[in-house]
Amino acid sequence: MTTTAPADDITGDMVEPATVKRGRPGRMLIGLGVGIAVLLVGLAVPYVVTDTYRMSLLLDATILSMLALGIGFMARHLGMISLGHGAFFGTAAYAVGVAITNWGWSPLNAVIFAILLGSALALVMGVLVVRASGFGFLMLTLALSQALYQLSVQISAREWTGAYDGKLITYEPDMTFLGLTQADLINPGLFWPFAWSALVVSGIVLWVVGRSKFGTTLEGIRENEERMRFSGYNTFLPRLIAFVLSGSVASLGGALFAMNAGYISPQILGFTQAGDSLIAALIGGFGIILGPVIGTFLFVYAQANFNFGGNLHLLTGLLLIVVLVFMPGGITGTLQKVYRRIRGKDRQVSDERGRSGRDIASDRADASELRAENEQ
Amino acid sequence: MNAAQVLNGLALGSLLMVLSSGLAMIYGLRGVANFAHGALYMSGAYIAYSVSDRMGFGLAIIVVPLALAVIGVVLELAFFRPLQHRSHIELGLITFGLALIAERLVILIWGEKTLRVRPPEFLQGTSTIFGVEYPSYRLAIIVIALVMAAALILWLRLSNVGLHIRAASQDIETAAIMGINVDKVSLIVVSLGSALAGLAGTLAAPYIALDPGMGNAFLITVLIVVVVGGIGSIAGAMIAGMGLGLIQTLSTVWSPSFAVLVPYLALTIVLLWRPTGLAGKRIS
Repeated sequence: MTTTAPADDITGDMVEPATVKRGRPGRMLIGLGVGIAVLLVGLAVPYVVTDTYRMSLLLDATILSMLALGIGFMARHLGMISLGHGAFFGTAAYAVGVAITNWGWSPLNAVIFAILLGSALALVMGVLVVRASGFGFLMLTLALSQALYQLSVQISAREWTGAYDGKLITYEPDMTFLGLTQADLINPGLFWPFAWSALVVSGIVLWVVGRSKFGTTLEGIRENEERMRFSGYNTFLPRLIAFVLSGSVASLGGALFAMNAGYISPQILGFTQAGDSLIAALIGGFGIILGPVIGTFLFVYAQANFNFGGNLHLLTGLLLIVVLVFMPGGITGTLQKVYRRIRGKDRQVSDERGRSGRDIASDRADASELRAENEQ
Repeated sequence: MNAAQVLNGLALGSLLMVLSSGLAMIYGLRGVANFAHGALYMSGAYIAYSVSDRMGFGLAIIVVPLALAVIGVVLELAFFRPLQHRSHIELGLITFGLALIAERLVILIWGEKTLRVRPPEFLQGTSTIFGVEYPSYRLAIIVIALVMAAALILWLRLSNVGLHIRAASQDIETAAIMGINVDKVSLIVVSLGSALAGLAGTLAAPYIALDPGMGNAFLITVLIVVVVGGIGSIAGAMIAGMGLGLIQTLSTVWSPSFAVLVPYLALTIVLLWRPTGLAGKRIS
């Protein structure tokens, strides 16, 4: 058991492993190859899943995954847990609605505008919040996004957001979004390629950024902000850039959400939505980029299948507690731990040769596992 | 602006004061923002509904804080103590999960309907104060909250346990080295904090309508109060709570749209101007 008081940051267990092997362009290429393969395989999903209801669930999960991806990026690389990314998602959604319905813009321009507006909001909010860490950050993001929710439901905002009624997006029948009419947009099978490509490309971008030198700087800040500052690094700007980047991904998700749904409920900015997407990301795990995505797919699946009498939150609450208490790395983190333990045993038996870079990396992971065990 | 509006502000401020002082105490000691505090407040209000239905409101005001104190003991023993070496954020998110569960349990037990609690007979009328007729019950809220706040501050300042709580809030490790039983102090603080949330819920029950969303609606405001007041500072939280209640109520008269934004504006301004909150402990 360590003697130092627990910091406000999340523990290594939640973001393990950060043992990224950099300086290996080969791995980067393999990663990109895998990403493109996933993209192509995913495009075939509408041909396999012919049931519209299942398809719409998959589409919802894909779009919401972009929100979780943004939250996960901040958590993984900076250890900052955000309850405010729903604000960017929701703002982008409303921006699409306002640009198309109130201003008569073409859908494509509206989507671009929405992403820019969401990112601009992330910039403004980021300036206010990224200096805080731990709970300060959590509460500031929560408070500012809730302020936005309160604004959106004001009677005076009715013209723009529809207040509590929500916003119905209506446009000229001849307008199309990348070749899709409004009727096509609501069809999950036809909209799927856009959502899926957006998710995979965002994922690849965040993954590449995370492995770049910039990603290393972020992890340095996560581990010890003060030391990075004393070493001559600007620690504010990287955090701000990361925040805006993750906000842009969430905005992209929000814009696509609005295009597909055609209707925006004010709940999109609410406390429950913010909590749900964070919980989904947490349950999936922050350790790898896929974690929050897997969490979101599971969450959407659970929402559709286990919501007996509206008791979903009873289950998610329980699951959240179980995951945090017993498997701090989330589902993916636990799987990785199991995998590493199995592989670790194999290695002990088969070879005891020199320590390569990879061994040092997994040693670090082992050490943190030991620490986790000691702490229990 | 007249005296009645000022009194309304004081009544809302009183509730915020009671609620946020409990949250600030737990935060100061355990370093955990208790997201379940809104749920505790809501449970308090609902239990008060059931108790006052059967045995009268007078009893509810004693029974409910005691019941919530027991819940606080469970919280401390089941979560805060065994997990004290985990990061604060993780523990905070666990309380978030607890809040979700509690909210659903309240709906399962009491239903989703809006419920009303009647104040005791002798407080149902109005009293004349500062030249206005004002509901007696709201005056009672203000008086009870102020008395409670004064008692809490005096207890923290003058008693031995209060000294230990202040020491442990400053630096829990050093306090433990100095021979303070930190576990005992923490048990007292968490159960007292929960009891205060229960008291706030009971006081609020006849004042506002009970619905399952009441906890979340208040939680965000109370978290803001604690941050504005300076994390861990009980007096700071009390002053910020009262101040926010007054400003919000008075600005409602001027512009209701603006009033709902007051807490968020206050938070942003305070954090830009004094990043550590009004009472100045570091936010981290």
